[in-house]
Amino acid sequence: MPTSSRSGGVVRPWLVAGVAAGALGVLATIDPNEPGHYPTCPFLATTGLWCPGCGSLRAMHALTRLDVATAWERNPLAVIAVPLLVAAWLRWLLDAHGSPRARRWHPTGIAPVVVWTGLVLVLAYWVARNVPGWTWLSPA
Amino acid sequence: MSYNEPPNYGTPPPPPAGGYGYGGAPQGPPPNNNLVWAILTTLFCCLPLGVASIVFAAQVNGKWAAGDVAGANESAEKAKKFAIWSAIAGVVVIVLYIILIVVLGVASSSVDTDY
Repeated sequence: MPTSSRSGGVVRPWLVAGVAAGALGVLATIDPNEPGHYPTCPFLATTGLWCPGCGSLRAMHALTRLDVATAWERNPLAVIAVPLLVAAWLRWLLDAHGSPRARRWHPTGIAPVVVWTGLVLVLAYWVARNVPGWTWLSPA
Repeated sequence: MSYNEPPNYGTPPPPPAGGYGYGGAPQGPPPNNNLVWAILTTLFCCLPLGVASIVFAAQVNGKWAAGDVAGANESAEKAKKFAIWSAIAGVVVIVLYIILIVVLGVASSSVDTDY
């Protein structure tokens, strides 16, 4: 078994990939569009408002069917996040294999202004989803 | 006072031998800012707690970029704790939901799910 002293070895990235694949498998077979299969978002249930994550289960379900258009209608920010998460996972895998380039791309090396901009983006998205009539950002 | 010899106020001191110092990322492995956890909890855990995780991630990056290794590690530790707690909160919500379904049985089939 290949082992590495850094970042907990190469086993962990593949473990995470397995868990993600399992979750996508469940999402592909058990349709979140039908009520009663998954818990409702606690924020939506208590406030009646959309949170930044509302619709992401249905978006991922659509992505397992390669239906990007439907996924985009449910939660565009979640669709945008998918390639970023895949890139972060690839970097993690390369880092676990000891790649010096992957070490240079560490998430902690991202310019702070980029992360703060991301925070503002998420907060603006949260508000915009709940503006009456702006259904293009929310699952409504 | 002579203008021929201007004072040396503006000249920065030479950088230390190790290349450390303010305004640049330190050498060595950076602490984990848990940004991926923040994105996951914000967009896929459906818990607004993820927003706070993004703040911690930005703090880690800011302190690391400024050369504050101790501060970056401290913020990274908070980010990690927060990620763990938000994950636990997510699991608790799901377990409570499953218990609710089991207790209420078929009667809960009319529960409105908008997640």
